[in-house]
Amino acid sequence: MSTQNESCDGHLSTGANSLANDRERLSVFTVTIGATVPTGFEHTAAEEVGEKIGAEARISKDRGRIYFEISTDKLPMVHHLKSVDNLFVIVKEFENYPFKDSKEEALSDLMQLASQLPWADALGVWRMNNSLKKRRGRRRGGNNTKPKPSKGEDAPVPAMDEGDSVVTTTEKVQQESDAPQEKEGDRASSHEEEELEDDATKPLKFRVTCSRAGDKHSFASNEAARDFGGAVQDFFQWKADMTKFDVEVLLNIHNNEMVIGVALTEESLHRRNITHFGPTTLRSTLAYGMLRLCQPQVSDVIIDPMCGTGAIPVEGCIEWQDSFFVAGDNNDMAVSRTVNNINYIQKRKQDGGSSAPGLPVDTVQWDLCHLPMRTSSVDIIVTDMPFGKRIGSRKKNWDLYPSCLREMARVCRPGTGKAILLTQDKKCFLKAISRMGGLWRKLPTVWVNVGGLHAGVFALKRTSSVFGTTPEDDRSPREDGEARSKSKEEQ
Amino acid sequence: MKLLTHNMLTSHVKGVTKGYPLLIKATEVKVNEVEFNPQFISRMIPKLEWSAFIQAAEGLGHLQNLPSTVVPEFENNEDFLRDVHKVLLEVEVIEGCLQCPESGREFPISRGVPNMLLNEDES
Repeated sequence: MSTQNESCDGHLSTGANSLANDRERLSVFTVTIGATVPTGFEHTAAEEVGEKIGAEARISKDRGRIYFEISTDKLPMVHHLKSVDNLFVIVKEFENYPFKDSKEEALSDLMQLASQLPWADALGVWRMNNSLKKRRGRRRGGNNTKPKPSKGEDAPVPAMDEGDSVVTTTEKVQQESDAPQEKEGDRASSHEEEELEDDATKPLKFRVTCSRAGDKHSFASNEAARDFGGAVQDFFQWKADMTKFDVEVLLNIHNNEMVIGVALTEESLHRRNITHFGPTTLRSTLAYGMLRLCQPQVSDVIIDPMCGTGAIPVEGCIEWQDSFFVAGDNNDMAVSRTVNNINYIQKRKQDGGSSAPGLPVDTVQWDLCHLPMRTSSVDIIVTDMPFGKRIGSRKKNWDLYPSCLREMARVCRPGTGKAILLTQDKKCFLKAISRMGGLWRKLPTVWVNVGGLHAGVFALKRTSSVFGTTPEDDRSPREDGEARSKSKEEQ
Repeated sequence: MKLLTHNMLTSHVKGVTKGYPLLIKATEVKVNEVEFNPQFISRMIPKLEWSAFIQAAEGLGHLQNLPSTVVPEFENNEDFLRDVHKVLLEVEVIEGCLQCPESGREFPISRGVPNMLLNEDES
């Protein structure tokens, strides 16, 4: 026991007396949280962390990850982050780990490492997080797979599990992380919340997930996971279980950087606000990232003219209630799903006790190339454009893109308006844009990965030219013989 | 369909030059409470076609206290802003249709969603 404490983080001091002292106070300590975010949106995620938590996030060299420090009393807040796919708490970070050249030695080092790591704080956070999850699940009628809580529902300060003060010797981890102890008064409620996995007599189940990147390692990720996992199992006397695990240990290796963490979220939280899915429903975190790029202002009219199941407008009307969203699509099913998704959110607000559950959003069935909207009435257009592989076709895009860019330019406010468009058909898009310099000015593109496909989030600023006065306005796509030879192709 | 959305919708039937504002024929209207944000309303008012808004509100029987022209210095007039908020964002047409003022073509509204799709020959 004492050897473990020596390698632990400073404030869990050695000796039984100090441990007893620690248990007196409801201690709050600092940990580093890691978050996976859609690649390309690391900066917007870091912004959100700064805004909502007040922590400065750093962006990992490993794409799609950011890290930030918080004090444990702020843990509930991390679950309100909208740009984040998955969260984990860091056990230890190595900036430059000396991986040995031989596979045997490298793996043996990893095995030895397991018993030397400062697990206590991370596991303490893991347990606090479980209490939070259970609270949220109970409030919503015990269904833990439902999406994250809407704005009004802030979880109270997490109570530690009282039952763990009586532990068996097989659960060393729970003894260490017992230091943050709850107050007397909370004893009763935490007992109610204990479910099977907190039963002090049952060993925890775990798995190790390893991701490895770099060309100089002598071992593969599955080997590292296997051996490191074996050592973790010996150390904690946990049971390994690939599918029904309580603790997920993460081993992330990127060249010489290594991060060991404990997961705080399960896989399935990508589509938090969508209950009615369609064939290509956009990840909520990606929708949120795109909306942040738009920088919605008070009273902005924001449309998604190809909304599909409504992922973008739904995310938008929840987070940016000072703007007004119009979701549009030509497809019956898409419209129906969008309405269902919006109704679900409103009902959820109502069930949560809101007296004004209505959201600043409307749905219209329309044809993108003939938008039934007044000229210059829209501030922002944000949408996920058909990729041509999953929906529509490449040839269709060839005709679609110029027409819709033109129609979007018509409804968009000159000078101040903008468009944020996600598409995988970059070639077609860039070609279409190259002929619209009079109406649209291209801003920096964010490159993202959507379901394994490399895509671009193109940002466009509407020029101050009035629609109908620039040369490209009146031309239909087929008459472009002249334009093709004149304009430069941006590839 | 909220009246804010209606204020921006126009008919785009081929050949029509005066497709705005669309006439509302409602068979079911609901009032759905939305959080009041004075800044939002105050900044939205200048973007509205006020007379079309009043006309639509009147047609639905929800004109209430709204004046036929915008009151001066409305930014600080909370009562006025609240009245506008109610009619602009809380009144919803659930069933009915929108009619093009020039061609007479009707666009159905169902489940709160106007269907503005045109047939081949109309576009």
